[in-house]
Amino acid sequence: MPQFSLYDEEFHPSPWQRTWASFKASHISMLGLIMLALFVVCAVFAPLITPYDAVEQNIDGLLIPPSWVTNGSISHLFGTDALGRDLFTRIIYGCRITLGSAFITVVLAMLVGVSLGTFAGMLRGVRSSIANHLLDALMAIPTLLIAIIIVAILGTGLVNSMWAITLALIPQFVHHTRSFVRAEMKKEYIVASKLDGASKWQLFVHSILPNMTEMLVVQSTLALSIAVIDISALGFLNLGAQSPLPELGVILADGLDVAYLAPWNVAVPGMAIFFMVLSINIVGDGLRSALRKRVSH
Amino acid sequence: MIQILVRYCTLFVLTLLVLAIISFSLAYLFPGDTLENLTGLVPENDIQRAALERQFKLDQSYIFQFFYYVGNLLTGDWGYSFTSGLPLREEVGIAMPATIELATYAMLMALFVGVPLGYYAGIRCYSTSDHLINSVSITTYSFPVFWFALLLILIFSLQLDAAPMSGRISLLYDIEPVTGFILIDILLSDIENKSLAFKDALSHIALPTFSIGAIATASMIRVTRRSVIDVKHRPYIAAALSRGLSSWQIFFRHILRNALLPILPLMAIQITTLITNAMIVETLFSWPGIGNWLIQAIYQRDYPALRIGMMAVSFVVITLTILIDLFNRMIDPSREKYERATV
Amino acid sequence: MPMLDIKNLTLEMQSSEGAIKALDKVNLSVSSGEIRALVGESGSGKSLIVSAICGALPNQWNLTADRMSWNGENLLGMSVQQRREVMRREIAVVFQDPQASLDPSATLGEQLEESIPDEFVQGSWFWQRAQQRKKIAISTVHKVGIKHHKHYLSAFPHQIPADIGQKFMIAMALVSQPKLLIADDPTRGMEPTTKTQILKLFTRLNQTRSLSILFVSHDLLAIASMSHSMTVLYAGQTVESGKMKHIKKRPLHPYTKALLDSAPSFRKDLPPKSLLPTLSGSIPTLQHLPIGCRLGPRCPRAQRACVQTPAVRKIHDHSYSCHYPLHMEKL
Repeated sequence: MPQFSLYDEEFHPSPWQRTWASFKASHISMLGLIMLALFVVCAVFAPLITPYDAVEQNIDGLLIPPSWVTNGSISHLFGTDALGRDLFTRIIYGCRITLGSAFITVVLAMLVGVSLGTFAGMLRGVRSSIANHLLDALMAIPTLLIAIIIVAILGTGLVNSMWAITLALIPQFVHHTRSFVRAEMKKEYIVASKLDGASKWQLFVHSILPNMTEMLVVQSTLALSIAVIDISALGFLNLGAQSPLPELGVILADGLDVAYLAPWNVAVPGMAIFFMVLSINIVGDGLRSALRKRVSH
Repeated sequence: MIQILVRYCTLFVLTLLVLAIISFSLAYLFPGDTLENLTGLVPENDIQRAALERQFKLDQSYIFQFFYYVGNLLTGDWGYSFTSGLPLREEVGIAMPATIELATYAMLMALFVGVPLGYYAGIRCYSTSDHLINSVSITTYSFPVFWFALLLILIFSLQLDAAPMSGRISLLYDIEPVTGFILIDILLSDIENKSLAFKDALSHIALPTFSIGAIATASMIRVTRRSVIDVKHRPYIAAALSRGLSSWQIFFRHILRNALLPILPLMAIQITTLITNAMIVETLFSWPGIGNWLIQAIYQRDYPALRIGMMAVSFVVITLTILIDLFNRMIDPSREKYERATV
Repeated sequence: MPMLDIKNLTLEMQSSEGAIKALDKVNLSVSSGEIRALVGESGSGKSLIVSAICGALPNQWNLTADRMSWNGENLLGMSVQQRREVMRREIAVVFQDPQASLDPSATLGEQLEESIPDEFVQGSWFWQRAQQRKKIAISTVHKVGIKHHKHYLSAFPHQIPADIGQKFMIAMALVSQPKLLIADDPTRGMEPTTKTQILKLFTRLNQTRSLSILFVSHDLLAIASMSHSMTVLYAGQTVESGKMKHIKKRPLHPYTKALLDSAPSFRKDLPPKSLLPTLSGSIPTLQHLPIGCRLGPRCPRAQRACVQTPAVRKIHDHSYSCHYPLHMEKL
């Protein structure tokens, strides 16, 4: 007689698998993810996709309208700008620069912020509470102000604006890491590990860090959207990336001069920034709901 | 109670001290010769240089210079701007209220439009109206503020000609700057056609306020909605329902209070973003605020202006943040240490 | 004529594996002036029954019942308004964790005064009404045994100890003068002294005001001393139901016997190192409910007939559903 099992083999998905399953279930989040993936592909494969060079000026073809207007031609998909540079190429390279530098900024801020925050969270006593309050108060300084100061000291340029935004994002990571570590240190599984003889480093790497990944992912998506907007804002104000570097804010600022004659110069880079931030926000929201559903089920 | 006040006062003074140290050391960090950066004068020979140094106390130790600097700040001698030569105190005194006015109106808009909408969306969560409000708010929140302002200018000022695109008020009116807030000044002044001037000022202030306010409102809606949804699922709401309390009572006594309390600490971060956005938008609308002034200063490398401007803006922001934290601490009965709500 | 009458209540949920019946033909009835205990292990569905009676079931559950009536009126057929009226005036619920059931941003006094129904408060001016509310609050709080009312009524929920909290929840339940009090595991996690105080309070309320109580718990020692009748629930099925003294003397269902045996006894004449008799295994999860009688896999007397759900049989008020009950070998 064939052996039959009374109980089916149970499929127990791991926490990450459950999060992915519930993220996949929401159509809007998947749409956001596809958009974001598109931007990332553009950013990574920019030299392969673009037909022209980003800074090559073409005096004969100034202010050609985009291809969907009757005057435009398909050879310049989004038209050209006031110096004859192809806008499509500039936008693709712009995605690369804006998204790439925002990504690097967030990673750097996360590394520094998490280390500082863990250090502050595992400390105790009066020192930590003073450091906390000070940090919280300093967290209130506007990003633009920090950027202006750094530009005044170091000069303009994309790298300097990246330093400014990293400095502005660090306090957020420090605050959230610190409160998370403090809450976790009170939990019993940490006490159990300590009684087993774990050192502080081992506690951090094996017990706290794996639980911190979700919070970090959520914070990073928030920080990424802020970083993209801030880098393009600084580029727009000519405090960050400088012309002719095709950063999206710089393209927008260049297009401002001819905004009335050739509105696509202003519309297209703005749409690019808008969709980039929108996709990051949608993915971030979807991740947060998926993580929340996982906890409440 | 007194303990809390003392604690916050010490925190305030400490933070200001740190800021003063940073702003003082900026003079030495700026590229170029320190003396030229501070005074704007280029000494021609060594004797002049020595005299100037003695005058501006640059030959003394750093600590002494720092105390001299703080003393100057407190007495009101803030130095002179490079570009205009005017005393910085006057310039900041004109520019700061303009920005504060803009930020205040945007904040009021965010509070009075954003919080009720977010509350409504949270109460009817996962229904059609909630999805609508949520999508609108996430879309608005994703707009880069400068592009949003540009679009508003292009549509309303240039196409429809509905609102002017620069300045605070038309040049025809001459308003005496009593408080620095233009709407209040109009009401306080004694020109004949007050209502016309008021309408004109309103039309000037409409677009900048809307561009900043829309993004702040979207942020407020998201935060409030999340807080209301969290509170709705708590067990005490279910317990209150089982006692048979009516919906109105539950919504307006229990959910409202508990949902609004965690949002207050987030207001501090909102103010920061609001002021950053205000500074960016001021350049587009030629609004004579501190953001515009600082950005012009950095274009022209006006170092004394940068130092004082940074000090002024940080001072305002930190005061507001600490006041909000203090207020929060005093009215909330159930927290010993505070955690911020999330989005 | 029982006050609360539930017959064949079935609670179903659609899940990825099919329909899951969390409650399967549950029968429960509470008469006027009696204390009925609803006993079952964790996971047997006791809290679901309480939510079903309150009308606070989450949306994904499907409820069907042959009869679910309160004082003769069908609860399922009522509109939301009427249901809420019943909940407000006639049925009161005391939940498990007192601190979680209280609004952390309001004082205890405010919350108590808010629950006082308007009909009890007369007075033409609003300050008269407010004063009356305060008076009723203080008297109710005294009735449950909280002495320093001034201190506690102006405190916040996170400042009070657990036993005062639970007594306060009972006071909040009593203030609308209900006819049935549902206590959903109110003494969970309490020390014995506090537990006895609360149980004595329940007994006193039942005797002085003839308040019926539905006491949901798994603590047999507490229940055995104070309840008049008992319903035993296992994995969503009622296995036995009847008067307390009959069940204690002669439990008919193997599960009831196992429950009664497993309560630790403090008798002095027990031999040393005597085993605590338990039923092997544990309660099945919702995804793997056995067909027929759900105790089947664990029951020591199970035979082939147990794959069909046994019908409910009744002997003089004592009903049981088992194919092979104890003490009934000859039948």
